[in-house]
Amino acid sequence: MLSHLPDALALLFSLEGILVLIFGTILGIVLGAMPGIGSTVAVAIVLPFTLTMGQSSAILLLLAVYAGSVYGGSISAILINTPGTPQSAATCLDGYPMAQRGDAGLALGWATVASVIGGLVSAVVLVFAAPYLAAFALNFGPIETFALILLGMTCIVSVSTGSVIKGLLAGMIGIFLSTVGGDPIIGEFRFTYDIWQLYSGFNLLAVVIGVFALSEVFVRASAKPTGVSELVDFRGVILPKLSAWRGRLRNLGKSVVIGNVIGVLPGTGAATAAFISYAEGRRSSPNKEAFGTGEPDGIVSSEAANNAVTGGALVPTMALGIPGDAITAVMLATLTLHGITPGPRLVEENPTLIAAIFAGFFLINLLLLPLGLLLSRVAAPILRMREGFMMTAIVILCALGIYFVRGNPFDLIVMGVAGVVGFLLRRQGIPMAPLVIGMVLGPTLELTLRQGLILKDGNFFAFFESPIALVLAIVSLVALALPLVRAVLASRAAQ
Amino acid sequence: MNIRATLGMAVAATCVAGAAIADSFPERPINMIAPFNAGGGTDLLLRGLAPHFEEAIGGDVFVSNMAGGSGTVAASALQGQRPDGYQLGYFSITVSTIQPQIKNVPYGVDSWTPICSVAASPTMLIVPNDSPFQTMEEAVAAIEGAPGEYVFGSSGPGAMTHLTTVAAFAGMGVLDKIRHLPFQGSGPAVKELTAGTIQFFGDTEILLSRGDFRPLMVFNDERLEGYPDTPTASEVGIEPPLNELYLWGGLFAPAGVPEETVAALAEACETAVGSDGFKEFAANSGTVINHRGPEEFDAFFRAQYEANGALIEAAGL
Repeated sequence: MLSHLPDALALLFSLEGILVLIFGTILGIVLGAMPGIGSTVAVAIVLPFTLTMGQSSAILLLLAVYAGSVYGGSISAILINTPGTPQSAATCLDGYPMAQRGDAGLALGWATVASVIGGLVSAVVLVFAAPYLAAFALNFGPIETFALILLGMTCIVSVSTGSVIKGLLAGMIGIFLSTVGGDPIIGEFRFTYDIWQLYSGFNLLAVVIGVFALSEVFVRASAKPTGVSELVDFRGVILPKLSAWRGRLRNLGKSVVIGNVIGVLPGTGAATAAFISYAEGRRSSPNKEAFGTGEPDGIVSSEAANNAVTGGALVPTMALGIPGDAITAVMLATLTLHGITPGPRLVEENPTLIAAIFAGFFLINLLLLPLGLLLSRVAAPILRMREGFMMTAIVILCALGIYFVRGNPFDLIVMGVAGVVGFLLRRQGIPMAPLVIGMVLGPTLELTLRQGLILKDGNFFAFFESPIALVLAIVSLVALALPLVRAVLASRAAQ
Repeated sequence: MNIRATLGMAVAATCVAGAAIADSFPERPINMIAPFNAGGGTDLLLRGLAPHFEEAIGGDVFVSNMAGGSGTVAASALQGQRPDGYQLGYFSITVSTIQPQIKNVPYGVDSWTPICSVAASPTMLIVPNDSPFQTMEEAVAAIEGAPGEYVFGSSGPGAMTHLTTVAAFAGMGVLDKIRHLPFQGSGPAVKELTAGTIQFFGDTEILLSRGDFRPLMVFNDERLEGYPDTPTASEVGIEPPLNELYLWGGLFAPAGVPEETVAALAEACETAVGSDGFKEFAANSGTVINHRGPEEFDAFFRAQYEANGALIEAAGL
């Protein structure tokens, strides 16, 4: 493929190519930062415009919007505790506390650098390892995915600040919420009480925005006015000093690997990757205690992983013709409309185009840095609005975004109720992150568990005949047991 | 000409114009609802059709998405709307004839004014290229020899991919000897077909161009041009009504749309579907155009609703 690089670069560095990359990345960042408009919607918004463009411009525009939106989601997560996309939910956990502390610019700086590195590495991986990774993805069937999601569920313990019991409770609520709607195996409706609006279950984004953003608005509205009008002190992104990276590089590397690997597996996605990476970052970080209170490692874990997913998700798409998630499915559809057949022979048949896509993807990730700095400078004055205005603006933006996604007024009710319930639960000290993890991972956990039981004649223990599943299960057990063992040892030592 | 006559003529002209406006449909934008997410196959088809429909009807047309519940959320919402022709939905065979018979949704066969059908593709039973089975007989013999050993996949319970495999194996009398593994969407199912977790899948011709797959039989009344060696389901020995299965879709309005409005919409649909622009779009996207007018589509829709009852029973849904 490298032999086609000169032709590919000629395509990229045409006026149209460069404009598409810059415009697409800016649009992606802006759309991603808007609460409710996730990456899928952002990509779908620009899709009609690509129909009149050439093949390479069309795909590059979609890629730029995709990569930009994943990064953009972190801006609103950090500045207003509103994940622009579900994959940024884990970024809120440390990003927002850091912003509240007055280090909003620095928090965004960590997020920006982690995002760019995560994206760049995944672009390189995409170029050199796509065929091997695609073969690896084929070894990951329902049973292995189940074991992976099980490992993801252990995150609930690590994000449960305060009381683990309350965290588990929140996780259970999340899993329960995810069971509402159509049964994935037999198609029956569950907990819908003949309300057809519930047939597709609760909209994940509506719940996420309700419990994070709306409940935050309620918390602020119920607090006594402090006289401080600014939400967070933000005057533009401050990049972290090189010396500040000391001791964090291992975490960065690990997060990038986690993001890439999970991105390659169809049907898991960036939100899962961000949470698993966050939990692993917390487990292994020397600054473990600070996680959840504004620890840069937390931001780095989440952002490096969710941006690394973008390249990973393109691997099965390009190498096998199988979309890794809803966004790559849209891209495959676009390829088809331009007369290109996605499938195992895609790379062989269109080497120049594919080289242009890979090289363009690398460039897009490079562009994230300057464009991210520029856009956050533009956004900064908006955040200096009076708190009342800002809160109203957040509520309106959230409502618009949520309504826009599915055109379903019922989703607005879901968001409102989630906001009120989230507010009440938070007052009881029940953390919201485990609830979101339960809701994000719940459907895949259930689907793959039941698929595995169909394949293994109902014998759960036969799952662990698969070496991958066995290893993942052991890692989950160790992750759960280690803190207990440590606590016991510590108390013995104290005696 | 005196002033009175001029005035009279002006008034008369205004009245005529007024009457013409009252008669002319549409007076405001027409909303076409895609019952799935933006960017999916149905959404793309509708967005490909909309500009040509707009040109043909001489008014604004916009596409909106209302996803969820395998398309039933949009259909449930549309059935309660005013039947004035300004709200149309693009529904497939599953949304309009399968889902209302397996789920407790607020719409049924009498909830609609069918406007026109747009596309229809026969479905196929598909195996990976390296599958040991060259013919249906070999597959059936293997399944009978090892009951419960083989697995077929689907993109979800009640989806077209599910019903195709059910029609195949119920038609051959081995449905109780093979397992069904539903996935969430076609992507993961196709991945497992490549990986070997599932051995059979049912979909339209488009899937064949996207990977190393081949068809064992086609649910059409005759062999397909592109696959002259693939037998039809009837040739393999599958009896009606399980022998023909098409993934079709068309425009529906809520029941009770006035005749003139139906005529205007149907005419625009015929022009749009027959336009060169849409034909080019269809060729690029692998859409098989299949146009039917309102009466013909209504009869077809009702016949399909009946026939699919047998399929649903076989699937045990």
